Amino acid sequence: MCSITKENVFDAISTVIDPEVGFNLVEMGLIYDAIVDEKCNVHVIMTLSTQGCPLHQMITTWVKEAVERIEDIGEIEVEVVWEPAWNISMADDNVKQTLGAM
Amino acid sequence: MKAISSDFAPPLKLISPFFSAGVVFYLLSMVALLFFEPTFIYQQMDVAGWIHLFMLGFVMMIIFGAMAQLVPVVLEAGHAVVDVYYVIFPLLLTGASLMVIGFWVVPQILPYGGLLVLVAMIIFATENIATLKKTTISTLTIKTVAWSNGYLLLGILTGFAIALGFSGQLNINISLMLKAHVYAVIGGYVVLTIIGLSLILIPMFSLAHGFKEDAIQKAFKLVVTGVAIVFIGAIFSQEWLMYVGYAINTIGVLFYIWQIYIIAKLTVRKELDVWAKSMIFAFGTFIFAIILGIIYLLSAKESILHASVWFLLLGFISSMITGHLYKIVPFLVWFERFAPLVGKEKVPMLHEMYSKEGASMMFNFTVAGVVLGGFGLLFESDILFKAGASFLLTGAIFLFIGMRKMLAYGK
Repeated sequence: MCSITKENVFDAISTVIDPEVGFNLVEMGLIYDAIVDEKCNVHVIMTLSTQGCPLHQMITTWVKEAVERIEDIGEIEVEVVWEPAWNISMADDNVKQTLGAM
Repeated sequence: MKAISSDFAPPLKLISPFFSAGVVFYLLSMVALLFFEPTFIYQQMDVAGWIHLFMLGFVMMIIFGAMAQLVPVVLEAGHAVVDVYYVIFPLLLTGASLMVIGFWVVPQILPYGGLLVLVAMIIFATENIATLKKTTISTLTIKTVAWSNGYLLLGILTGFAIALGFSGQLNINISLMLKAHVYAVIGGYVVLTIIGLSLILIPMFSLAHGFKEDAIQKAFKLVVTGVAIVFIGAIFSQEWLMYVGYAINTIGVLFYIWQIYIIAKLTVRKELDVWAKSMIFAFGTFIFAIILGIIYLLSAKESILHASVWFLLLGFISSMITGHLYKIVPFLVWFERFAPLVGKEKVPMLHEMYSKEGASMMFNFTVAGVVLGGFGLLFESDILFKAGASFLLTGAIFLFIGMRKMLAYGK
């Protein structure tokens, strides 16, 4: 039985910061889900704020590296999806407030 | 899932010379403005020299550097032969310099400068077309890259014909060829490129989402058609046809501005950084330039045309470029020097890589310079024009210092 939870994975990913906006990916609402199976393999489902993001591959690598730092973690798969498309309503209130979207 | 290839980014050492040289040419253009009077005709050799210093040295140089980085992002495919940019840079640098010297001092060297620029642009356009063939997607931005490169080739061919005409080696109607050349380069290449890249960059930096692209699709079709009609009208000396083209183009750019308004309404990021302020100023001056252009067509008063072109070049095009430099250059430097350190040590945010005060000074002096200089041209006031040129030069010095600091950050 795996003791790693979805929250553990989100906490690990929250160390990854978008250098353009200065917020971490979790508070931006870019991480849609993290599925952990009984062998501690993790499937992260995420999106990006724009489809033309030149940091696309780098950000997914950072997510993978952040999750890898969790003790006893198994295989990690990071999937980028475009549906549903990201919008500001998915971000935390502090992000909206700082960006002036509230 | 739509795959995005973003590991095709060319190295900073390939792109940074374009940006460094472009900013130096911008600075030189502003120095040169101090020696001009607000009354002139476009056929003057010194005016043609300034236009080429600004358009080739600054605008084209920066666009070429930016395209080296952005084409793979837009096309989601790697460059066909990215190393050609190492050849394009010295050719464009030398060609543009020779052309300016040719216009100002030694007309005999104009064809040689023109030839170097021609070769640089043929290599650039050919490489872009070869890269276009690698992509499997079809977006509006990709269509603009394809069409703008076609117009670039037409523009440079007509320009080279003019250079041969000036030096007496080709017997052509220089005045008509000049109109075809200007329209192909500015309308066909620069404006189409800006339209295409705006659709990627402006929503990306402003975090705007969920907008329809109907208006910009119409803008693209109208501008492509309008430029073709003006070009054909100029080549075949059919002035009525050129007016039809002007009208179609005007409607096209109005659709483009409408699209930007739609995107601006959905902007999530309300912070007015130097990029956001530059965009507001760029589109404000663009609208003003269009209004002046329409008044000129009705009044035929030359000073109104001069002011319209001024606001288009130094207001719209210049601000679009300088505003984006404060986004693109920190990103390129960060990508090269700090991206590998993420997760290992603290890395800077992009906005920390330039002085906000310096950027504000650049923007404020530039705005004052564009407005004063533009009204100097409109009212044919030497003192207003010179004041504008002085402010622009001060803004250019701040841009030059800012660029040097950004490129040196973390070295």
